[in-house]
Amino acid sequence: MGALLRVRAVAAKEFWVLLRQPQLLLLLLAGPVLIMVAFALSFEVDRAKPRAVVVVEPGSEGEELFERFQDRFTVRTRFQGTVQSVEQADQMLRNDETDAAIILPPDPSESVRRGEQAVLEVRYSSINPIYGTTVPNRANGLVLDLNQALVREGIARELEDAGTAREAIEDLDRQLARVNEAAESLATPEAQAATSELDSTLAELEQTLEVLALVESGEGEEDVDRSLEQTRQAREQLAELQEAQEGGAPSVKDRIGLTELEQQVGLLQEQVSEIPFDVPPRVLANPFRLDLENLAPYEPDALGFYTPATLALLIQHIALSLASLAIVRERLSGAYELFEVSPLGLGELLVGKFLTYAGLVFGVNLAVAAVLVGTLEVQVLGGFLRLAVAMMLLTLASLAAGFLLSTLSRSQLQAIQIAMLMFIASGFFAGFLFPLDQLGQPARSFAYLLPATYGIQALQDVMIRGQWPAWTDFLGFALIFAISLAVARHLMGRKKV
Amino acid sequence: MPVIQVKRLVRDFGPDRVLKGLDLTVEEGEIFGLIGPSGAGKSTLMRVLTGYLEPTEGEVAVFDRAPTTFVSADRRRIGFMPQSFVLYGGLSVRQNLNFVAGLYGLSFLRRRRRVRETLEFVELWDARRKTAARTSGGMQRRLQLAAAIVHEPALIFVDEPTANLDPILRRKFWDEFKLLRDNGHTIFVTTQYVGEAELCDRVGLLSNGRIIAAGTPDELRRQAFDGEVIELTLAGDPGHTGTQLEALENVGHVVEVREERDGDGPVSRARLVVDDADVVLPKVFETLNGADIRSADVLNPSFDEVFFRLVRNE
Ligand SMILES: Nc1ncnc2c1ncn2[C@@H]1O[C@H](COP(=O)(O)OP(=O)(O)OP(=O)(O)O)[C@@H](O)[C@H]1O
Ligand SMILES: [Mg+2]
Repeated sequence: MGALLRVRAVAAKEFWVLLRQPQLLLLLLAGPVLIMVAFALSFEVDRAKPRAVVVVEPGSEGEELFERFQDRFTVRTRFQGTVQSVEQADQMLRNDETDAAIILPPDPSESVRRGEQAVLEVRYSSINPIYGTTVPNRANGLVLDLNQALVREGIARELEDAGTAREAIEDLDRQLARVNEAAESLATPEAQAATSELDSTLAELEQTLEVLALVESGEGEEDVDRSLEQTRQAREQLAELQEAQEGGAPSVKDRIGLTELEQQVGLLQEQVSEIPFDVPPRVLANPFRLDLENLAPYEPDALGFYTPATLALLIQHIALSLASLAIVRERLSGAYELFEVSPLGLGELLVGKFLTYAGLVFGVNLAVAAVLVGTLEVQVLGGFLRLAVAMMLLTLASLAAGFLLSTLSRSQLQAIQIAMLMFIASGFFAGFLFPLDQLGQPARSFAYLLPATYGIQALQDVMIRGQWPAWTDFLGFALIFAISLAVARHLMGRKKV
Repeated sequence: MPVIQVKRLVRDFGPDRVLKGLDLTVEEGEIFGLIGPSGAGKSTLMRVLTGYLEPTEGEVAVFDRAPTTFVSADRRRIGFMPQSFVLYGGLSVRQNLNFVAGLYGLSFLRRRRRVRETLEFVELWDARRKTAARTSGGMQRRLQLAAAIVHEPALIFVDEPTANLDPILRRKFWDEFKLLRDNGHTIFVTTQYVGEAELCDRVGLLSNGRIIAAGTPDELRRQAFDGEVIELTLAGDPGHTGTQLEALENVGHVVEVREERDGDGPVSRARLVVDDADVVLPKVFETLNGADIRSADVLNPSFDEVFFRLVRNE
């Protein structure tokens, strides 16, 4: 009984304490739900299609081909239009204004005539081993589709052009029919009877002629010999016929249609010889071949790819958590009042905290990066200077955001809670789990408020692409830093009313 | 020239009016005690004086300047000891004091010297390496006081320094305040212990958002009883002593007559309120010539009583 009362007391106390912090409850419940809803609203399957430009030479066969099969290019991409030069397309790829450049050869027929597949080149720039296969996959599909369409269209055209061949085939058909007819009739029993009758008549004639030849000599002898010869030939032929008759219609057919068939075959062969026999069938069936080129300097494995993003999330989270407690803790403990009464300026307070936190976060994460490079052989293509600069900028922006968070928080628990939510939101929206460009609104706008969004891009640029972060990322860091600090400073400076 | 001058100060928290038009003057080099019950607004007044809170209405001048417009030179002349321990439990005693000395911009050498002097002054030098969280409540309070004086401010605000301390430590704190005062510091101290008013040079009684009385302890006592009090004990039966006491009305004002018995018979105890006890006392003996005066003392009423009367009179 006593235990029950005590448990009830604790439960009731917890209930009221929680209820007294409506913002905290709201954050606890609504925060994750909001993130999931924003994610569901923003994740667009259509955005999984890569953006693409097509490079064609104006007036070329390539352009004509593109216009003829345009739908096949546009259905599997977010088609952005055509450009005229490869350089222009490369520039767009480098500036991340497009995901793929499809380069059509100016004269594909020429290659085919030479017996070679025409090359459809697709350039892209991806370092993502998981989502980076979108362009290659879709490029393969495009080439397959294009080849099928070309072959199908080719057969249809051949059929139209092939009037002579069709006539020849029809001729052949007719002849065959005639041969068939004849063969059928010769093979009937009546015909066989007639033939054997003819044979016996010829046999009698032969015997008579033989007797005549023995009896008669002189002038009439030559005629008789010739007639006997003819009769024997006729009998030989008849024997063959009879033999064929016994074998049925097909054997007859053999004998009757042969000559004409031979003629027809000769004609067909002549026509077939116009087709270019030195083009291999592989080329005829697949006139296009895909040539993929990834402009990214190196395609890392999953570990290499996720290391920069993980580091970015880690930096943001540590910095944000540390800084988010900085002000609220002092305010709650009362130390803040001591600061207010002392000559310490708010700017000095912030800078002082900044120095230590920045050094700590920066040092810890640089050490983490060094361990990754040393033990897991993760690459830092851009070198440690670039890495240090990018990490420092991310640290500063995250700390500034954390200070703002700290001035807004009513309690330490609330501050921690918001920091945690920011961490989860960053996983979803900052380009960690899904590439940023697969997200629509409202997540897109939200993503640009997170330091990690710029951090992931910047660290990927440095570690995988081996280059300085984009100026847009520098701008993002600078804006978050300046605006957060200005607002935090303003909120802190406000007298308690 | 007064160090602190407050006129018609009003401070609201939302709809609640905590300070309701308050006047106050604190002179240089004195210990000014602000006495009032819990929730009277003592800490609020102190926060307005240090510039942490803005006044809702009225005029506040500290060193002839509105506290909300203090520049850092002004702030260096002020020390502040909050009501609770707000320093860092994780740091050692000396690290804490070093930090505060740094906040006031003490140079390295001066900081070293002052940290040591101050810790010795509050008797924490031996405990300087102890982590603040592991020191006792009284030590933390002394550390907090050290933090308020380490930069040698001209004006020191101390908010309930002696609350919940044992009498010996309380006495020590007041001894320290007196020492500081003798060295020329002005001390503005709040307390709930009415008895501590006696230890101040001047006292203000804060009740219900107003200063209901201000002055030296003696002045307050006089104000509470409208003068000084002589307590008389006369022997004899009540009728007789009553006549005798009536005669005293021409030298003072007789209040509170009580009839009692002691071992020898009935006695009357009476309080006579007079303007100046030293002048009046010989006249009392003169007037009561022949009466059986058992005792006649100048009463020194406890400050509890003074406070109670002043609040009741309000
Ligand atoms: N920040 C605040 N917000 C709202 N009300 C406040 C605030 N600070 C003080 N008060 C109110 O003002 C009144 C006076 O508080 P204050 O702390 O000044 O009293 P105090 O005299 O110092 O009491 P104690 O002796 O217990 O310290 C109280 O009723 C309190 O609730
Ligand atoms: Mg108080």
